This record gives sequence, C-alpha cells and structure tokens, in this order.
Amino acid sequence: MIKSKRMKSAVVAVMATFAIGSSVPTAPAASTTIELLIAADTNIQTLWETVFIPAFVKEYPQYKVNVTFDRNGLREAQNTAKIIAAKETRRDPGVDLIDGGMAARLAVAGLLYRPSANLMPNLRDVSKVLVKQGNGQIPYRASTVLLAYNSKNVTKAPTTLNELLTWIKANPGKFSYNVPSGGGSGYSFVQTVVDMNLTAAERLAMSVGPDKTIQTKWAKGLETLKDLNKFTYGKNGTYPANNTATLNLLSTGEIDMGTVWSDQFASARAAGTMPANIKVTAIKSPSLTGGPAWLGIPINGGNRTGARLLANFVLSPAMQNAIMGGALKGIPVVKLSKLDPVLAEGFKDVDVTDMRAPYFGANSDDLKSAWSLAVPGK
Amino acid sequence: MTTTNTVATKEGFAEIKTAKLSTLGFFMALPPVLVIIVFVGLPIFVAFIFSIGYTGGPNRVISIIGQDIFQKNKWWGTPDAYLTVFRDARFLPDLALTLVVTFLSTFVVLVMSLGMALYQRIKGGKIASILSMLSLVPLFVPVVIAAYAIAQFYNGVGFMRTFMAQFGIEFPIITATRNAIVIGTIWTSLPFAILMITSGLQSVPNALIETAQDAGASFMRIVRTILIPLAFVPIVIAGTFTAIGIMGSFTVPLFLGPNQPTMLGVEISNFFTAYNRPQQSIVMAFIIFAAASGIAVLYIWANIRSAKQSGRI
Repeated sequence: MIKSKRMKSAVVAVMATFAIGSSVPTAPAASTTIELLIAADTNIQTLWETVFIPAFVKEYPQYKVNVTFDRNGLREAQNTAKIIAAKETRRDPGVDLIDGGMAARLAVAGLLYRPSANLMPNLRDVSKVLVKQGNGQIPYRASTVLLAYNSKNVTKAPTTLNELLTWIKANPGKFSYNVPSGGGSGYSFVQTVVDMNLTAAERLAMSVGPDKTIQTKWAKGLETLKDLNKFTYGKNGTYPANNTATLNLLSTGEIDMGTVWSDQFASARAAGTMPANIKVTAIKSPSLTGGPAWLGIPINGGNRTGARLLANFVLSPAMQNAIMGGALKGIPVVKLSKLDPVLAEGFKDVDVTDMRAPYFGANSDDLKSAWSLAVPGK
Repeated sequence: MTTTNTVATKEGFAEIKTAKLSTLGFFMALPPVLVIIVFVGLPIFVAFIFSIGYTGGPNRVISIIGQDIFQKNKWWGTPDAYLTVFRDARFLPDLALTLVVTFLSTFVVLVMSLGMALYQRIKGGKIASILSMLSLVPLFVPVVIAAYAIAQFYNGVGFMRTFMAQFGIEFPIITATRNAIVIGTIWTSLPFAILMITSGLQSVPNALIETAQDAGASFMRIVRTILIPLAFVPIVIAGTFTAIGIMGSFTVPLFLGPNQPTMLGVEISNFFTAYNRPQQSIVMAFIIFAAASGIAVLYIWANIRSAKQSGRI
C-alpha cells in the first residue's frame, strides 16, 4: 500500500512539475501570500501593480501579493490545464486569484469558488444579474460598446437602434461593425440587433444560461443584418476583422459611423490616433451591450480567504474610484451612488445600472456561428 | 545484377560494413522519429479518437468546455461530428475556396518561378543575379507583416487607390476578396519555389544545353525536352511544398480574405475558439490533412521516380 501510495505521489509530483513548471513553489503557499495570475494586457498589469496591490497591502499588512503576469493570456490554455490537473491530483494549483478570460472557462467547468455577499460584503453593490451571469466569476470593472461617429459628416447622431438602422440605409457604405467572432464591439451590434425581437425576460434568460429555444428567435434579426450587407462599408457583405480595424476605418474617414469599445476609443483618443471630430454616443432601445472584466477564485486555491479579501477590496469604493479616475478610464461595476460624485459624473451617459449584459458564453458562441452562416457574403 | 558474391571478396566485406552503417543510421534517425511519435503522433491519435466521439480520458476536459460535442454511440465511435461538418452550410464553400486558392496560387507560383529560374539559367549575368536575389526578399519578411502590408496597399485608402485617384480612376478595393488571398499567398510562397527550381535547373550540365543548341534546337525545345525533365523532381518538390503550405495558410486569408467563405485554416480557428466547437474544428483539420496527404503522395512518387532513375532502388 505504502509503496503504491509513494508511487502515486511520485507520479503526481512528476505530473505537477510538467503542469506547473518552475514558477510555483512545491510546498503549499503560506496563507499570507496571495498568488495572483493576471492574463491581460499591460494596462491591467499596471492597474494591479501600481493601484490595487499597494493599497491592499497598506490596508492588510499581513498579506503579500505575488503577481504572475501572462501577457494577453498567451499561456491561458496551459494555466487552465494546470488548475484542472491540480484539482485532479488534489494539489495546490499555485493560483489564488485570476484576472482574465480563463476564469470563464473554469466557471463553465465548475472550478470556481462561488462568491457570496456574506463573505464579500462589497458584492452587494454590484448588479445581481452580473453576479449571476458570472457563474462563479466576480465582475470588477467594465467597458461598454458605444456608437462612434464623425461629427463633421453626421450632424444628428442616432439615439435609438431604429434610428441607427435608418441612418445606415440612408448613407450606404458609411457604417461598419467588425466580425462578431473577431471582437466584442461588432459582436455587441449583432446581439443588439437580434435582441430587438426578444422580450426583456428572454434577454435576461439568454444572459444567464444556454437556451436553444430562444435562439430560434434570432432569425428575424439576422435577416435584418443580412439586408444591411449592401449598405455597410464595402457594400459587399464583408466586415472588418476586429475591433482595431473598425477604429482604423473611423480614423481614416472611410466610414462615418461604427461600434467601438469605450476604453479602446478612450485610449486611441489619448494616444492621438483618433481625430477629435470622431465622437461617441450611447444608443437606446435596446442599448449596445457592455462587458464586465472578471475575477475568479479557483476552487482548489491554497489561499481562498486571502483571494476573497483581495477581490472584495477591489470592489471597494476607493478602488472603484481609482478604476474610473486612473489612466484606464474603466467603468466601475458598483452603484455610482457609492462612488466619488465628481468622477461618477463622467460616467452618467454610460448607465451602469442599465448596462445590457452580453449573452451567456454558450449563447454568444452560437450567435457568432449563426451570424457567420446567415450574414457575410450573402 | 549479373554477378553475385559467393566468396569472401572485397565487395563482400563492403556489404557487411554497409549493414553496420545502416544499424548506426537507424539509431541516429531514432530521436527525431521518437519526438514525432510522442509529440505529434500521439496528439494526432488523441484528436482523431475525439473526432469520432471518444470523449473520456485525455479528451475529458475539452469535452466539458466545448459545445455540440458528439459522444460515441457504437463500439467504434460515431460519425456524427463528420456528418455535422459536411452538412454545415459554411464547410463546402470553404473547402472549395481552399482548393481553388491552393491550385491557382501553386500554378502561378510554379510558372513564375520557372520563368525566373530559366532566365537565370539560360541568360545569366548580373541583372539575372540581382533579380533572383530580389525575388528572395519575401523569404525574410514575416508573413503577418507581409499580409498587413498587402492589405495596406490595396485597401480603401491604400496606395493603389490613392495613386489611381490622381488620374481620376477608381481602383477597386480588393482586400476582403479571394483575389487578395491569391496575391498574398503567391507573394509569400514565391521565394522558396524560386530557390528550389533555380538550384534544380543549375544542376543541368551545360554540355547538354550546348549540344542541343549546336543541333539547332529552339529555346522552347531545350526547355521542354532537356531542362524541365532533368529538373522535374525539384519542380515537383517546390510544387508540393507550396501547395501544402498554401492549403494550411492562416494569416494571409485572415488578413486579406472575405469573412465568409474563408479558407479552412481560418475556419478551423473560428470553430475552435469563437464558436467553441473543438470537435468540428478537429474534423476539418483531418479533412485538410487528408487533402494535404494527397499532395504528399505526389512528392513521394517524384522522389521514388528519381531514386529509381539514379539506381538507388
């Protein structure tokens, strides 16, 4: 028995070495160290390292936060496999808190520790729909999709989706949105158009779980999108490949209107690549969707208490103010009434309480697939 | 063979030596073969059984995460994933586009590089050397940079359009079309083919060409009956490598092609990530693998032919 157990642990150790690599200590992390994995771009790394972590360590001096940075989530598959392998072998994965898209994968696989408002009081200020939709993930900031337009050529920007559709048909070749599978800004436009034919209850259902029955109601919206083929940029049913491509078309003046991410637009403006005559606005009925960024606490993490504390801290009014006021110009996820009124003023146009959530993962995957079948090149 | 070695002759010892050498050769070839078996062969096997519905073991995690996963319902698996792909309205246009682009681009690449190589072989001289050196430049430009540059050249505010606009001509936007993919793949595949075919033609002895010229053979006749037959194997190799490379290309169709239909390389990636259908993307990968194997057969045939001609087998 002992022998086989030893063998087993030897195998596990070998597997762990393969899966975990050298960056993680073999002994379980001490409960005062929080292992944070950031799978995002450098602006998010800066946010953590210069804002969140120093403030957190000041507030809770007994903790130490150890950051592993995975730029743009390049090693996401390996890191996900590592956490799953650690779960199978009942080991510490060496990750206590994740900021990145892989949290969604772990949520689907049921490998995230479910946050509760009792243990994380600040979660009470976050939209319930968002929390439910997270399926174990914790939203901590958001960006939304806005309608960008060239104020030189567009005197009166559309305020509703119907007005926008009318404008597109009246100005052939002057609007575009990117391929939904290529980026969230184009995806948002597609979802918003198909959502026109869904009731509020159906939209909510679609954002909390997979639903093939409601998906059948997409057909009409996809038909609308197909009819736009001859009015969008190029007039031949081809669409820009990603978010950046839409921004480029706007900045070169090839299109007068397009859907863009709020934060990417703000960054492009700050970097000087977006001319001042391009402005953004929000549309209504339905509004374009917004997307939260998520945190995840692996169910098998060695320091779940610390991770919970840090996630709760990020949702505190002070940190949410920092998200709004800092270089990121991110959108806070907690109620604006709790936050600095001066900073919150700038986000009044972006109605966070009314921010339309994107679909649940499985539904949005299906929508991307359905769009590619029904719209481009038809 | 007219004679056989029945007694211990010099040749007999040589045969034993050859046998020893071949054992050594076997062990020298072993590491790469093992690497291929473990890191390529095994994953391909695991992917294949996943495509026919074996969702347990190493495929368990991806089966939990993926959508529309078909599980085996017979002892050998299930054909459902393959049937789903073939019934998908995107697949056949994608396959057609992939094959058309592959054959068209390979044909153009072969013709162009043959022209370049012949010019250098027959004419030679400084200009020919400079031209063939220039033609190798794309070899040192990463594909993603090249694709982006080509997109910038032909897009709505690209060079062609702005240049033509000076003369009042509206040049069409050819990005997001099949033509742009063909231009891109030719651009990226040309240098290798030129390198291969040029060296093939260089190895044809001068004496043969001169003799033919003395006998009054025309240029086309020399090309047709001497140069091309003697450089046949390098030409086939250039063709097969180009075709396989184009068939699996991703960056060029992603940057330059239409959204739909697209080449299978892009569609596989769409199915794997955006639509979260790993099983169907693996099915497409096996179909493209089968198509590429068809081309590889041509390559093997050419190699065997040349080995037979030189008496190695």
